[in-house]
Amino acid sequence: MNAFILKIIIFLIPITLLLLALCFFANGYTDPFYVRFTTPTQQNLIVGTSRAAQGLQPDIFEKILGIKLYNYSFTVAHSPYGKKYWESILKKHNKKKHGVFIVTVDPWSISTWCKNPNDETQFRENTLAVANTHNVSMYPNIEYLYKNLKGHYKDILLAPTKKLFLHENGWLEVKDIKMDSASMNKRIAEKITKYRTDHQPKTKFSKVRLDYLLQTIKYFNNYGQVYLVRLPVHSEMIKIENEIMPNFNDVISNAIHLSKAYLDMTNDNDKFLYTDGNHLYQTSGREVSEIVAQWIKSNN
Amino acid sequence: MFFNSIDFAIFLPLVFILYWFVTNNNLKLQNFLIVVASYIFYGWWDWKFLSLILFSSIVDYLVSRQLGIEEHKSKRKALLWISIMINLGLLGFFKYFNFFLANFKAAFSFFGSEININSLNIILPVGISFYTFQTLSYTIDVYNKKLKPTNDFIAFSAFVSFFPQLVAGPIERATHLLPQFYTKRTFDYAKAVDGLRQILWGLFKKIVIADNCAEYANQIFNHSNHHSGVTLLLGALFFTFQIYGDFSGYSDIAIGTSRLFGFDLMRNFNFPYFSRDIAEFWRRWHISLSTWFRDYLYIPLGGSQGGTVTKIRNTFIIFIVSGFWHGANWTFIVWGALNAIYFLPLLLTNSNRNNIETVAKGKLLPNPKEFFAMLLTFGLTVLAWIFFRAENIAHAYHYILGIFKNPHSYIQIGIYWKYKIVLCLILLFIIIEWIGRDGQYAIERIGYTWKRPLRFALYYAIIIAIIWFTGKDQQFIYFQF
Repeated sequence: MNAFILKIIIFLIPITLLLLALCFFANGYTDPFYVRFTTPTQQNLIVGTSRAAQGLQPDIFEKILGIKLYNYSFTVAHSPYGKKYWESILKKHNKKKHGVFIVTVDPWSISTWCKNPNDETQFRENTLAVANTHNVSMYPNIEYLYKNLKGHYKDILLAPTKKLFLHENGWLEVKDIKMDSASMNKRIAEKITKYRTDHQPKTKFSKVRLDYLLQTIKYFNNYGQVYLVRLPVHSEMIKIENEIMPNFNDVISNAIHLSKAYLDMTNDNDKFLYTDGNHLYQTSGREVSEIVAQWIKSNN
Repeated sequence: MFFNSIDFAIFLPLVFILYWFVTNNNLKLQNFLIVVASYIFYGWWDWKFLSLILFSSIVDYLVSRQLGIEEHKSKRKALLWISIMINLGLLGFFKYFNFFLANFKAAFSFFGSEININSLNIILPVGISFYTFQTLSYTIDVYNKKLKPTNDFIAFSAFVSFFPQLVAGPIERATHLLPQFYTKRTFDYAKAVDGLRQILWGLFKKIVIADNCAEYANQIFNHSNHHSGVTLLLGALFFTFQIYGDFSGYSDIAIGTSRLFGFDLMRNFNFPYFSRDIAEFWRRWHISLSTWFRDYLYIPLGGSQGGTVTKIRNTFIIFIVSGFWHGANWTFIVWGALNAIYFLPLLLTNSNRNNIETVAKGKLLPNPKEFFAMLLTFGLTVLAWIFFRAENIAHAYHYILGIFKNPHSYIQIGIYWKYKIVLCLILLFIIIEWIGRDGQYAIERIGYTWKRPLRFALYYAIIIAIIWFTGKDQQFIYFQF
């Protein structure tokens, strides 16, 4: 019996070491979220969905504001405002005072596809990384890799797509994307069709999500200044958003009231380039980041 | 708790250590530990359904004890029926209530009258079909005086709830498993090592073969009207290997785990896809269920004794009931009936026991006759699995028709290329299974006599393959039965 157990332990040591070593290879190419769960807790945060994840570049903020802002935004599936995202934000925040927080908003981030939009047990994010990763500042984050990379462990070594790279500061860079008008318009048309035919019909405003947005802002207010931002999107996308929530600014009026300032950039939609109508192209993302940073500076 | 989860990876060593070290080889304590561990294992999903297992165990324990005392024939029969009604009643309610209700409503509606009864929100308790049949076999065997009723409730509870095989079999017979709970168990090194090897192979089958096939099978079956003929055929092929890898993988893990605790469970699969006819297939597929139906349904009905009509009737009954056991859907019934149709010609021409031995025993390859017989049997099986997997009969019908549409798609290499990795994995799997077809499981004898470094290299290679090719997590199919 003892020999049996000893042999098993001896047998398992190399494979355990190998697995551990494999975890160290995981990086920004592994998937679009992993790195955010491996960095230390942060004082200054950008929160929101993929628009913020791809659009707001912390390097620019550092240059202009002289602070390290961490982009803790995911996707509309992972991180619309809600209990799970709220809990994850709490874990990522280091509870230091004098922080700067950029809270990005749009109709999707306070909506849901559930039959009952206020039944948070049915929210999509409940089974996703923000909900199932208990430690958000661990390197390597074995829990994240085990739970969220199932079926894709080989991606750690192969990094199947080099087109997405998640920086250490949380910015998700989309690389090598064709930006000629034909390719760009095709992607935009596809995205708009998908949102209009698939997403729009099932999207409903959620009071619960709005309450969590307010709760998030109130929490951040205890630790610093909160800046509320609505990022620009393609003109076709804003039409859809205006249809699902025509009075968006009224809906979030309490959030505006709670924040230090609110910047609605959707009036300048046509000034920027989008990879797919929903996300800013990186050059435009840089411009938008500069505008937001200057706006924060002027409000400080 | 799933076998392929971190929870189980922690649970198993913990129970193993408690079982062999803390109980001090005390039989009663070991049995008690098995009951506790099994209830934790099951309760991990939903502790509320534990009451059903406990209730089933109490009923059959008490009924059987009474059967041991009672000599009066009619009273004995009444006792047996109490057990059957309670066990099948629970199974019927949880598994078939809504199916019968829907069909009654449809029948009334067909004859022009409407009945307004709403279906119930019933959650199917995991593994209910398996433990119900296991505990029923005990009462029937006691009734038939093949087995003396036990006075040890803990041993009996351990037999009913034994965690390795509780939720998806093999469906053990009381005559085989229960006595093992009375016998002192000592740790057997060779048995434990063999158990680990079988667990490893079971995990490979489930995680690499079944889960990878499932991903494509689901995609193709769920959108079957968008796919070409060859893709639909590949979808059916993927499901064929998914269900085999999934279910036989589970059985391997169950058998291997039992061996770690000193138990021997019955074999459940014997390389069924190398069968040369359907009769052989059914001797090699889900053996514990097939033999259960044979012993407790087919033989009591008269089996293959009697006239041709009786033979045909009994064959259809056993296959249709077996299909219905799998689920409350007409697709399973048609699947069963289709297998009965495949089986009948063999039975009626007395050729259902032509192929008993392992195919091409001792040879590297089968002869052309054997090869084509295997190919034909495999093809028939794939066709039947389409009914098993389809959402309803219409879906299966259109799926099969679709396979014969756009024949030009069969020569489009690009379609095969899309599935190249999973096709290569299937091919590798077939080769390993073919090489090891004489063993209890494919790698039973592969590398067993090799020197340790080489043997360990084989195990490491399998583990790395499991990690590298992990498919998207899918629930074990047979949990829903």
